[in-house]
Amino acid sequence: MLKNKLTVKILVFLVFSDILETFTQFCFKKGALNAASLDVNNLAGLSLFLKAVFSSGFIWIGIFSVIFTFIIWSTILSKIELSVAVPIASFSYILVPLVSVVFLHEKISLLRWAGIIFILAGVIVVSKSSHEKEGA
Amino acid sequence: MKFGLLFILSLIGLTSLLDTINQLFLKSAINSLQVNLSANVFKILKFVWQVILIPKVWLGGLCALVSLCIWLFVLSKSDLNFAFSADSMHYIFIAFASRIFLKEKVGFRRWLGTIFIVLGIVLISIS
Repeated sequence: MLKNKLTVKILVFLVFSDILETFTQFCFKKGALNAASLDVNNLAGLSLFLKAVFSSGFIWIGIFSVIFTFIIWSTILSKIELSVAVPIASFSYILVPLVSVVFLHEKISLLRWAGIIFILAGVIVVSKSSHEKEGA
Repeated sequence: MKFGLLFILSLIGLTSLLDTINQLFLKSAINSLQVNLSANVFKILKFVWQVILIPKVWLGGLCALVSLCIWLFVLSKSDLNFAFSADSMHYIFIAFASRIFLKEKVGFRRWLGTIFIVLGIVLISIS
């Protein structure tokens, strides 16, 4: 049976999956920068773009990271309910922008941070609402 | 930025849509297996293998692959913090898809959360 009780072990798994998700996006961004100058206007452009992107090692590390995250998520969800797991996992909505600022030198205005906080709050409210069905 | 904001947002919407379709295929495939997932790592790997063997999952995988290609194009044209935040719109798609296709009841709190996400996406888009 699934439990609502969050153990330290599951929490470690969840935080790890957050970091892994952030790492994945960082790798994808790094790989995509490989082809930032290329435009996709036709099929030939598309194949050139994909060739440039997938020749970057970062993409393959990212894909490996996605598969690894999938296995960790399967493990987490076999032990705890989705409505408990998602709010903790959505910590990546803060982690990804932080990594963007520190490692990719992107700029985030106060207004954008406010938007990010709204999204985070929305995701948490949505995931908590799965209890509504039983209540109604 | 060379590409319009609306164009990039539409592409992010497309990846969210493809991811949602992938999730629906995956969910329906897993439902058809009817197994009790245990905590054993080897049993989980066996379960993942069983899931992979279902043809429906390949369709989902195809969606994921197309989604990844579009996602990489988006990342090559816009900031990661913007794209990743805007990608949260798949929560909105899932709320509507659950109501329309699965006839699930979408409660007040879920709509409230969805409105929060929409507001957040509007905020990051105008900033």
